[in-house]
Amino acid sequence: MTTLTRQDLNFGQVVADILCEFLEVAIHLILYVREVYPSGIFQKRKKYNVPVQMSCHPELNQYIQDTLHCIKPLIEKNDAEKVVVVIMDKEHHPVERFVFEISQPPLLSISSDTLLSHVEQLLRAFILKISVCDAVLNSNPPGNNCYLHVLVTLMCLPLQDFPWIVADEQEVHMQEPRLIPLKTMTSDIVKMQLYVEERAQKT
Amino acid sequence: MDELYLDNIDEYVNDHNKIVTYKWLSLTLGVHVNTAKQMLYHYLDHKRKESSAQLHATYLVSGKFVDNGQTSHKVSVVREDQLEDFKAKMSLVVSVHVYSVQRALLRDSGPLYAVDYDAVKDNLKNCSRYSAIHCASAVPMSSVELQQAREVQQAPTPEAENKKAGMNGDTSPVLKSSAKPPKGIMGMFANKSAPKSQDNTKEMKPEKKEDIEAPKSKPIAKANPVANFFGTQTLKKPEKPVKEEEAPQSSSRAAQQHERSKPEEKQETVAPVEPQIDTKKDSRSKTKRLEDSDGEEEKMEKKKRRRIKKPEPDSSDEDVIPDSPQPVVTREPSSPSPKKEVEPDRHSHPSSSEMKIRKRRQVMKSHTFLDDDGCMVTEKGYVSESYSESEDDFKPSKQASRDPIKAKPSSSKEDEKKTQKKASANSNKGAKQASIMGFFQKK
Repeated sequence: MTTLTRQDLNFGQVVADILCEFLEVAIHLILYVREVYPSGIFQKRKKYNVPVQMSCHPELNQYIQDTLHCIKPLIEKNDAEKVVVVIMDKEHHPVERFVFEISQPPLLSISSDTLLSHVEQLLRAFILKISVCDAVLNSNPPGNNCYLHVLVTLMCLPLQDFPWIVADEQEVHMQEPRLIPLKTMTSDIVKMQLYVEERAQKT
Repeated sequence: MDELYLDNIDEYVNDHNKIVTYKWLSLTLGVHVNTAKQMLYHYLDHKRKESSAQLHATYLVSGKFVDNGQTSHKVSVVREDQLEDFKAKMSLVVSVHVYSVQRALLRDSGPLYAVDYDAVKDNLKNCSRYSAIHCASAVPMSSVELQQAREVQQAPTPEAENKKAGMNGDTSPVLKSSAKPPKGIMGMFANKSAPKSQDNTKEMKPEKKEDIEAPKSKPIAKANPVANFFGTQTLKKPEKPVKEEEAPQSSSRAAQQHERSKPEEKQETVAPVEPQIDTKKDSRSKTKRLEDSDGEEEKMEKKKRRRIKKPEPDSSDEDVIPDSPQPVVTREPSSPSPKKEVEPDRHSHPSSSEMKIRKRRQVMKSHTFLDDDGCMVTEKGYVSESYSESEDDFKPSKQASRDPIKAKPSSSKEDEKKTQKKASANSNKGAKQASIMGFFQKK
């Protein structure tokens, strides 16, 4: 029953934690649903009280965790605008981009315990939406690769303990993108939007 | 019945791209579940005739299934493409109905559960209002009654549950209900505050019993595990006669160390009143591996008390971590590294904690190492270990359990626990391919 503001570092960390956990789950789920990796490496886990798929491959998990670890301070300060999961074809041209647009209201407050369960419900809805995104997207060509891109505002740079590079133009630019919105959520602590940019011709 | 519902369903499926399950539909539209099932069927039929946008459906099939001479009743949710195959395998199909309709081809059953979860949660008080399963005496208890029930927490409930669990235990190798186990298993792991499922009440009651019994642990005769029952449960009169009944069975078990628990449990179902320990075991029998329950009965009493400090080595961290869950889900080999970390803690405890009795016993331990090929190999062997009973088990083991788990918010902790459990489950199934799965279980 506390009212905290953004200036409260603890609170910023809480929000960043929640978002990073969610992004991790969402990324694993995207990898599963879009068949980026063989489904044998995934196992069922529980998050937000529903079953989700998570990979067991240690290096993949480590990559995702390291990236999110670097993003976390950016999210705390509200510097990361978008986190994008880019699925590329063999020529390293983006085929699909799952864009998570994140923004946090400048003056946050949590006023009750029900906030977090409300947020959990919203995040659960995101997870569900990702699970059924197959219906609105064309299937990808085989042999895909996948990268995580983070769009950050210019004033800050991510931590140097995990190698970051500026993304190549060809990896960012997509030809003839189609925009498919998936889900939006608004809550007291964060506003998030998920949409998919899909290349019109995938083969 | 007017045709408006077709448009409704169409809107949900096509416009909102939702997964429409019959339960969700019945709660949303306020109709009986059977009506909802028929609505879905008609909708599917209608759309298929029009051959418009592609729709996928899942079906719930329920019927008799014969496996190796054992007949069981199987309830499964299957995809449409597997429906005919599945029906052909069953000896008698009792019911088939549409479970859900959606545009996307679902790769696994997770989203189906997620869909119903929110719908049921919103209608928690009356989620069975439209249900086809009714029991006139099933009314929610008032808080006073709830309190009383918790304090009393007796044989009658575990008895009824045990009978049911016993029956399930008979058929558990065959029983495959994708709709039910997620709720059952997840119900066991859900927080106490989480609503639903009888499994939760089952869990809560054994928990309470355990809390009460642990402080009452007294020095126990070494040789006879049966005496354990008598020694500690003196307060529970109704259970005494049961223990006596159990005694002949238990002693026969004690004589044969490696006898499987399952056939014994079947014998137990004959006894009308069962101790709560057996209840837990029976409910576990659904999911646990047979081999790992070796010698469990004889050590059950000691183990239960000791479980918090030093669980059966095969049953992994799930036992150590929270005091609440019973080692229900498992007697499966745990993931190696957390176990290793927990073991040193366990070993240090007997020396530091208050000792009432020191004993040595043969304990099956898993030993993990890298073999010549660089593969992680886990071997199980008996190791002579000294242990003692103590009431200080609780805290030290809790700390031990925290070690392997990284410092992350509690929801991540649940995930880790789940990973370890699931990792164990996987390594179980992959026992024949230890090296392949071993790679993935490294974490």
